[in-house]
Amino acid sequence: MSVGTQERRSLAGLFAAFQRIGRRINIVPYLFILPAVIIYGLFNLGPVLASMVLSFFKWELLTPTSQFVGLKHYLYILRDKLFWNALSHNVLFLSMAVIVPVGVGLFLAVFMAEIGKGRTVYRSLLFLPAIFSGVVIAYVWKWIYHPFSGILNQLLGAVGLDFLTMSWLGNSRIALVSTFVAYAWASYGYSMVIFLAGLQSIDREIYDAAIVDGVNFFQKLFLITVPLLRDVFTFVITLRILTAMGVFSVIFILTGGGPYYATDVIGVYIYRMIGNYEMGWASAAATINAIIIVTMSVLFMRLREREL
Amino acid sequence: MINAKAQSWLRMLTFHVLLVVGSIVTVIPVVWVLMTSFKSNKEIRESALGLPARIRFENYVGAWTGAHFDRYFVNSVIVGVLTVAVVLIVGSLAAFAFARMRFAGNRAIFFLIFMGMTFPVTARIGPLLTFMYKLGLVDSRWALVFAYAAGSVPFSILMMRSFFRQFPEELEQAARIDGCSNLQFFLRVLLPLSTPALLTLGIFTFMGAWNEFMIALLLISKNALRTLPLGLMAFQSEFTTDFALSIAGINITAIPVILVYVIFQRSFIEGITAGALK
Repeated sequence: MSVGTQERRSLAGLFAAFQRIGRRINIVPYLFILPAVIIYGLFNLGPVLASMVLSFFKWELLTPTSQFVGLKHYLYILRDKLFWNALSHNVLFLSMAVIVPVGVGLFLAVFMAEIGKGRTVYRSLLFLPAIFSGVVIAYVWKWIYHPFSGILNQLLGAVGLDFLTMSWLGNSRIALVSTFVAYAWASYGYSMVIFLAGLQSIDREIYDAAIVDGVNFFQKLFLITVPLLRDVFTFVITLRILTAMGVFSVIFILTGGGPYYATDVIGVYIYRMIGNYEMGWASAAATINAIIIVTMSVLFMRLREREL
Repeated sequence: MINAKAQSWLRMLTFHVLLVVGSIVTVIPVVWVLMTSFKSNKEIRESALGLPARIRFENYVGAWTGAHFDRYFVNSVIVGVLTVAVVLIVGSLAAFAFARMRFAGNRAIFFLIFMGMTFPVTARIGPLLTFMYKLGLVDSRWALVFAYAAGSVPFSILMMRSFFRQFPEELEQAARIDGCSNLQFFLRVLLPLSTPALLTLGIFTFMGAWNEFMIALLLISKNALRTLPLGLMAFQSEFTTDFALSIAGINITAIPVILVYVIFQRSFIEGITAGALK
């Protein structure tokens, strides 16, 4: 048997196999997912992957060229002090976020689960800031921080703490915390709602048994409630990873990253690069940031799953 | 016994006090902004904390005529409604397949879509811009609709999939015996039973589109096409020294959201917890 016929025969076999699979494949499910896949592929996953690929090429806004530049953009970004400066602020945001939106949200939810009546009123009020756009949140706080007529300095003055009044957004040592407060204000209600839903799904009998054993509030919280809320914690913290590492509008509007880059974050850093048409740098920085975020959240979720 | 009762009463009181304090601290900025919007600049300068001398709407009139909030409002509504329409249609169609059909590659495709929930906007913004330029969609509402819908697809599928899975197998079998095709079962049986979930998803998606800023900032430059967050930013940078007017501008954009929240509060909360507890 010559090589040619063998090849021909295997090709025919392959074709027949495809036909068999083709007849067995039900295309209906694919038709159902097709519109979603097209929109998601064209305007979300596609651009994300394109950004990764294009970060290795010389690239202007309208003309992605085929000139391969290798790791040039990455080396530039990794040597840029401003990149590390911005990234460190994101990480600081995230570590503060674990304390305030997550910690405060948990305590608020626990208090609300304990009291019977009035729960919905508290929930409505505490959740309220979470409904606003980052732009609205930022402008509300911009006026709160206003040096003369802002409510913060006015309140401090009214209670005789004049020495504490300051330029909350102009002082480079305090500006990052000031922007964080605006971010946190709109976040703890969000975490609280999730924790509360988790708490309400816990079987009350577990608590009844504990009360008989005479545990106090904190023992009950940390020995019973928190371990039972593992999955909820995973979700809430993952959410904070995403929002703290991706924070943009609050900082962009409150400080624009200033004064002197004291509140610069990756989102604003990348926005500046796009504004300067430095698409190669921007996509390299965006890729690094995306890898950090996706790895952090996937690792975190996986780790929690395995621990269970 | 009395001691224990007193103790539990004291505990409840402590919780209430803490929650009241928390609620007040949370609401103060909103109340202050509302209050200040009724003051004149002179009043604000003299006493930023005091109540307004009278309820005056001059600031609102000034803000409304000083900027094109009506136009921004209409733009935001159009973009929001179209985004919701696209997401509800494509999301529930896909979720139906993922929830109730078996097909090769379903887990891999689902995972790729699910990953999208963790992508930051910056990860796609560059090529998205270039792509929109190539499509001639820059400075068009459709650019925002597609970009927002693509961002909401992962959550919509995740949420509707777990909702569709709750229905028993018997329901589908009964529909089949009556001669329903897949699409008929989906349209005539499943969707009507899913209106609460669709409402939640719709509200949630609408708010996401309504509040989005970064993509709009980069894709829209024409004043006539600005959505509210962009309009508010333009307004604030124009009247940066007029305290009263700026505050009224914030309220014009915030009050509709508060109204939607008051009416659809349950949907907001359900949208958030749907992602968490599944």
